[in-house]
Amino acid sequence: MNLAEILSFLPYGKYALYIWLSYGITFILIVGLFVRASINHKKIRNQLKNKYAREND
Amino acid sequence: MWKWIQKLASPKVFYETTNKLIPWFLWPFIALLILGLYWGLVLAPADYQQGESFRIMYIHVPSAWMSMLVYFIMAMAGGIGLIWQIKMAEVVAKVSAPIGASFTLMALVTGAVWGKPMWGTWWVWDARLTSELILLFLYLAYISLNNAFDNPKTAAKASSILAIVGLVNLPIIHYSVKWWNTLHQGSILEDLAEPSVHPDMLWPLIIMVFAFQFLYGVLALMNARDEVLVREQNSRWVRAVVTGEQS
Repeated sequence: MNLAEILSFLPYGKYALYIWLSYGITFILIVGLFVRASINHKKIRNQLKNKYAREND
Repeated sequence: MWKWIQKLASPKVFYETTNKLIPWFLWPFIALLILGLYWGLVLAPADYQQGESFRIMYIHVPSAWMSMLVYFIMAMAGGIGLIWQIKMAEVVAKVSAPIGASFTLMALVTGAVWGKPMWGTWWVWDARLTSELILLFLYLAYISLNNAFDNPKTAAKASSILAIVGLVNLPIIHYSVKWWNTLHQGSILEDLAEPSVHPDMLWPLIIMVFAFQFLYGVLALMNARDEVLVREQNSRWVRAVVTGEQS
């Protein structure tokens, strides 16, 4: 029994593996793009804050 | 119109505009995504040839579409930056590249996962797939070239030229299913006046294409906002924004 057959109890039956795999990868990539953007946002603000704080000393 | 473009070319106005526009792209994206997924995954009937597997289309087609649209935007913005020396155009081009590369990767991976049950193979070296893979390499080359220079101006110049040269790949991807014999099926969104699929399958696809456009919008805005801050870090308004004091 291969993986596609094992997972066929899920919605979409014999294609369940392929559908959920492609939707899963897309979901991870999109979430990753948002996470990357927000980490970058915080990092840049902190860097600039430190830079200005140093300049004021 | 021209006045508006000139105003937007000012980093401060650009920053404020990106900030204001983010929710206007985020919420339509979420709404269209929920609607498109529900329609596409639950309401749409199974295909008479491909069974349930055609549902991969609802992420494969929009991501493939966006991989080309974002590349086009990136090359155009790069060109505008080259010709008119508009720094904000350089920002748009630079932040678009990783987003476009991600869409390309999505298109390739979902295509491979769709190809396995339909064609019996994850990958074939045919025109459509190979030209899309070249698009991914073009994005990666653009990103590394952009990072290779310390001076953002030189980086923008070099990478924009690369992006414009790479534009020749777009018609090749688009027409590859017509020019060459390939395993890849023809376009579904070719002629919306005489659609080749049933409205119940077509509508979710159109909704998902719009959802992905808003997704690109919100991600580009989020990244552009920060890129402007870095580039303009020596100006007073950035200091005011970051330290939270009134300018």
